[in-house]
Amino acid sequence: MKREALLVAVACWAVLAVAPAAAVAAPQDVANDIAGRITSPFCPGVTLHDCPSQAAADLRNRISAWAEAGWGRTRIMARLESEYGQEIRAVPPASGTGLIAWALPVVVLATGAGVAFVLLRHWSARTPQTRLGDGPERNSLSLSPSERRRLDDEITAFKGR
Amino acid sequence: MLGRPALLCALVSVTGALVLFFLGARKERRDLTEAAARALAVTAAFTSLAVAALVSALFAHDFSLAYVVNYSSRSLAGPYTISALWGGMEGSLLFWTLLLTLFSTVAIRGATSTRPVVVSWAGCVLAGISAFFLLLLVVPADPFVTMGEIPADGRGLNPLLQSPGMLIHPPLLYTGFVGFSIPFAWAMGALLSGHADSRWFASTRRWTLFSWSALSIGIVLGGAWAYTELGWGGYWAWDPVENASFMPWLTATAYLHSVVIQEKRQMLKVWNVALILATYVLAVFGTFLTRSGILSSIHTFTEGDTGIWFLPFLAAMLLAGLAAIALRLDHLKSDNRLDALVSRESAFLANNVLFVAAAFTVLWGTVYPIIAEVVTGVRLSVGPAFFNAVFAPLGLAIVALTGIGPLMSWRRMSKGALGRLIRPPMIAGTTVTAGLAIGGVRSAGALLAFGLCAFTAVAIGGEFVRGSRVYRSRQRLGWGPALARTLLRNRRRYGGYVVHLGVVLIVIGFAGSAFKVERNAFLKPGESMNVGAYSLTYEGMRQARTSEKQINEATVVVRRGGSRIGVMHPQSNFHFAQRQPQSEVAIRTTPVDDLYVVVTQFDADGSAAIRSFVNPLTWWIWAGAAVMALGMGVLLSGGRGEVAPASARSPVRETVVVAG
Repeated sequence: MKREALLVAVACWAVLAVAPAAAVAAPQDVANDIAGRITSPFCPGVTLHDCPSQAAADLRNRISAWAEAGWGRTRIMARLESEYGQEIRAVPPASGTGLIAWALPVVVLATGAGVAFVLLRHWSARTPQTRLGDGPERNSLSLSPSERRRLDDEITAFKGR
Repeated sequence: MLGRPALLCALVSVTGALVLFFLGARKERRDLTEAAARALAVTAAFTSLAVAALVSALFAHDFSLAYVVNYSSRSLAGPYTISALWGGMEGSLLFWTLLLTLFSTVAIRGATSTRPVVVSWAGCVLAGISAFFLLLLVVPADPFVTMGEIPADGRGLNPLLQSPGMLIHPPLLYTGFVGFSIPFAWAMGALLSGHADSRWFASTRRWTLFSWSALSIGIVLGGAWAYTELGWGGYWAWDPVENASFMPWLTATAYLHSVVIQEKRQMLKVWNVALILATYVLAVFGTFLTRSGILSSIHTFTEGDTGIWFLPFLAAMLLAGLAAIALRLDHLKSDNRLDALVSRESAFLANNVLFVAAAFTVLWGTVYPIIAEVVTGVRLSVGPAFFNAVFAPLGLAIVALTGIGPLMSWRRMSKGALGRLIRPPMIAGTTVTAGLAIGGVRSAGALLAFGLCAFTAVAIGGEFVRGSRVYRSRQRLGWGPALARTLLRNRRRYGGYVVHLGVVLIVIGFAGSAFKVERNAFLKPGESMNVGAYSLTYEGMRQARTSEKQINEATVVVRRGGSRIGVMHPQSNFHFAQRQPQSEVAIRTTPVDDLYVVVTQFDADGSAAIRSFVNPLTWWIWAGAAVMALGMGVLLSGGRGEVAPASARSPVRETVVVAG
């Protein structure tokens, strides 16, 4: 398993090494991204990016113009919130009550994983060590690596039938 | 008109079926259950008659019916007249009820291998659900309401619904939703009758697979419809109604995996019943969302008071289900224990944790706006950015497990054996990740996704190779016949792997969206814009008029690397009956990328606002869905007796331990 762990480490390193090198986004990409993060004031329940109305297209053009003029995301979002209110956000803020939106799925996943792990440990600890091959006699089987490999192959082939 | 009397007769007969099933279950009398089954068949016949009446009214342009006026017109093309059946709330509920009564009848009639008392209780549940839907059709959602004054023509079907995809997508979704009521009813029947052994899920395995397959294909077709019709360049918007179809799919997928543990090891019985309950409740919850207007969505039917009828029904289903589980908890204890942490059981359990967490994430994101409004008074939306951020890690973990799971043995596995099996997929994953990184890919998420897809594809491919090798060596077959025999001799296992390969292809398509490019421009005839590697030249607008719509068709010449590679014709039309503008997207699709062009606006001087996207690898989503459908076909064609029950299997097989 050490080789496999090394491979994973190399893959992680490759991912981490290239991640920071992401190119600076073009103004129109910034505008498109913001349009996907706000609710359209003209189409209920739809992001500005996906809203087909003409008024939405006009607002997308305004955001593009702000981005072309060098406005950052924060300034554009502040401007939009001042015009349309907090309701325009299509992403909960990572603070206050909005934090619950982000945290709860993580809490549920962690709890689920924890419960599953505890159950697995509990179930496997209570398994009686009496079956053929489960007990100490299994360790006394001295198989050479080639025999072991052959046994694995045979079992795999048997399962594949 | 036959429609309303047929619905009233259906309501009467289903009430009779409910009473007879109940008495048959309580008194354990087979004759009463058989009479109830006949009453259920009569209900299905009356419901079919009501559907036939509505469909014939739609085709005959009978504008004395409000439903026909609201969802059809004289100019509506023939095939889309059928779409009008599910284009409105009342018609869609009628169609739902038709499927429910037909499926219930077929399931009850075909339940020869289930204990009669379980069938009686399951029939009781199905008749109860059918009675609820028929009551809806008779009281708040009557599709046969007549007009005071008969108009000369109808308002027509929403232009967005006049698409080939809409002929198939809603029926498949409804088939999936309604189909889950069969395993749900069987689970409840098993619990209520006190026979909560493993037979209930064995006798509904095909129903579960069938419903899950229909829902899966329905969801993908919905994505394809959104992609080609809505004009925003994407296929999934995490809209509440999309989410409503996705949540039961996630829990049903978890169930399809965890039920294998119950089948093989007699474990996770409570969990499986809870999952099928969650799946059914979530399917009904989706119906409630669609019809209540509680959340804003582009898919919702008109707001009305029908949605509110679903709340007590939902609560009753949930509470009755939980009470039945609590009542029979002692019957649901596991017969076996886990042998080792490193085993396929553990992988399946991890898979379930991820799927259920994913379902919770989608549910939470969907209902969060309502909760936030109650708590803060501010109506917030939760859009794709939230779902993508939270869901993507879960999705990638599921892809990883899809590769690891098949490599693991049941009961226990040595680390050495796992290490040997996992090495080729790991080398493939690492090579792909490193190669793409060196090749200039700069998205960490995409690199991880492509790497995991390569890992999983090689892991699954290895399973096919190992299986085929047996037939090659023992029956001296070539690779092709050996592969075919591997697939066909154990359809459940290898059909599942084909589905997994389809999922891998779909994830490759999703990962491509990391490189999506979008550019917008307002162009005069002869002007050009660049999007990704393409150059688009707008040459002008052609106008035409039909009885239904004003057509405004742009001509856009596409060049790549200076060479002309094609001409595209996106349209911006206006539908007279609905007074609604509608963009017709032009898409040039290849396995590498899709060029997607929309006209959003045009001026009298011939200028046009062009919205263009380059969507890399989107083709693989549809290809993956086709592979999934193939796998589902293999799974559904598998014989019932392919995998013997745990008790009938050789004890030697059960105690095999992979040495390490």
